[in-house]
Amino acid sequence: MSVICTKNLSRQYGGRRGIQDVNLQIGEGEIFGFLGPNGAGKTTTIRLLLGFLKPGSGSAAIFQRDCWSDSPEIKQYTGYVPGDVRLYPWLTTRKALRIVGKIRNQDLMPEGGRLAERFRLELDLPVRKMSRGNRQKVAIVLALAHRPRLAILDEPTSGLDPLMQDTLCQCLREMANEGRTVVFSSHTLSEVESLCDRVCMIRDGRIVVDESLESLKKRAPRQISVMLPDSAAAASISWPDFMKVKQIRGSFCHLEMVGPSPDFLRWAATQDFRDVTIGLPSLDVLFREFYDLSPSAESE
Amino acid sequence: MRGLLTKIFVEVRWPVLLFGLGMSLIMGLLTMLLPKVLGDIHRLFERMSFIKPLITALLGVDPGERMTAGMSQAFLWVHPTVLTLMWVHEVMFCTRVPAGEVDRGTIDFLLSLPVSRWKVFMAETIGWLCSGLFILVSGFSGHLLASVFVRPEMRPAMLTTFYVMTNLFAVYLAVGGFAFLISACSDRRGRATGVVFAVLLASFLLNFLAQFWDPFTATTPTSSVFPGIPGSADALPEAAVNPLPGFMRDGLADTASSSGQISVPQKTGFSLATISVMDYYRPAIIIQSGKFPAADVGLLLAIAVVTWTLAGIIFRRRSICTV
Repeated sequence: MSVICTKNLSRQYGGRRGIQDVNLQIGEGEIFGFLGPNGAGKTTTIRLLLGFLKPGSGSAAIFQRDCWSDSPEIKQYTGYVPGDVRLYPWLTTRKALRIVGKIRNQDLMPEGGRLAERFRLELDLPVRKMSRGNRQKVAIVLALAHRPRLAILDEPTSGLDPLMQDTLCQCLREMANEGRTVVFSSHTLSEVESLCDRVCMIRDGRIVVDESLESLKKRAPRQISVMLPDSAAAASISWPDFMKVKQIRGSFCHLEMVGPSPDFLRWAATQDFRDVTIGLPSLDVLFREFYDLSPSAESE
Repeated sequence: MRGLLTKIFVEVRWPVLLFGLGMSLIMGLLTMLLPKVLGDIHRLFERMSFIKPLITALLGVDPGERMTAGMSQAFLWVHPTVLTLMWVHEVMFCTRVPAGEVDRGTIDFLLSLPVSRWKVFMAETIGWLCSGLFILVSGFSGHLLASVFVRPEMRPAMLTTFYVMTNLFAVYLAVGGFAFLISACSDRRGRATGVVFAVLLASFLLNFLAQFWDPFTATTPTSSVFPGIPGSADALPEAAVNPLPGFMRDGLADTASSSGQISVPQKTGFSLATISVMDYYRPAIIIQSGKFPAADVGLLLAIAVVTWTLAGIIFRRRSICTV
């Protein structure tokens, strides 16, 4: 069963581009990574899912309910961390848990307290005295304290130190293990790579990739460095088709290869190499290609 | 709803308390000081002739040459400080949601909770109504407490004061409804506040301008009857013609005016003042006639209902964009 389902979801901001024909299907227990450069449409998509924005055309549904008209019901089971966390200056985590608890008709103090402890958050410190990271933590605690069936996090790790980033990732994995769904946007590939089951990439308001991490890794190139006896040998060697030469510097050749390494290893065994280094499949390179795709490259 | 109301209470309790105290203090001071000041007003009228039209504009009736006790009480309720306090409070309150929340980005937090926008709007409305009532009642308490220290003739008559307060609250509702409407259409609180204040100021100034120049209608500024109230000062209730007592008797009339009649601008249809909110709030007429201003209150309530409903519909249907 799909937790989130969008069909040709589009939204324009006056004359400015928003998103165009976004189709998403996100299932239960998935950790879904939403990637894209700044201004690509990640936040617009999230705001449409949360019912903050009205779709221009198309539809969006969460738990089979319309995101615009049934927004309050959807939010009963949803937690949200905004990209730019802004909270009331007078709010403390304790007050926030009480107020939000009253609104949700739920005692959030036990779970909220546990989360606050995990994120090393002072319960009685007012927001006006908090650093950006701490405000981010308050938003995370408030979004997860009611144990939502769906957590939507817009660049949640920005402002968090690496330790807290790890804690957040751990929390999100635990959620997914319990069958709850996590959608989170980011433009940091490493955190998406370390956390997500599936990745969707949006660029210029359109989805360009929507695949499982496994299948993406198969498409991702590996970086290979080879050392030959001398620069003449490096210049004269003929490389197989499945390898792409990136740079030759003296006797060192830097190459890129897509696909499994055995083909390369069999071929390398026949060569007079002094040294070989094979890197892991790099999603970074793959995503950079998507990110930097110029209009001319696109038309090709 | 309980959670939303708690949030609103935590946010506005101190400003509202301060506004209430301020209103109480000002009403108290005015109750004690106005009779002294207004007792000598005829001398001021003689020296500075432009003062009279200004007071006429505020009161909505020509005070004549001498001030009566009723006029003094009416002046208390239209004093610019009192109106400013009410309006500043409500413009600040009514532009909190959505303009204020969008402006500071906190609407994301608010709308991520399982509450409909309509509920958010209703909670704000409850806060607005309660805080307005609190400030109004605080002002009345100040007036009542201070009236212990003035002559019995100067003490407020409960029924007419209730009518005046109802009329003032109707003004509060109309202005608030309009402020909600502007706020619902705006993403910037400063802009929304500016627009509402500009309209209020224009409305206030129109009321003054109408005393000097009215392109729409001919007025008879010294007519001897109240609009819609037949008869002259002879027919007025006692409070209307009660002279100000004791310490200020020198400058005060024993009747409503030196001629024994109170003159008011006779409206003959649409006038420049008709588009001013002040035209529908005339405590002097209420105090002197002792009648409930049903038409004015009705119209103000209609404006309030229409603008408030529109604001609610716009807030419910609009997209919220904080980025």
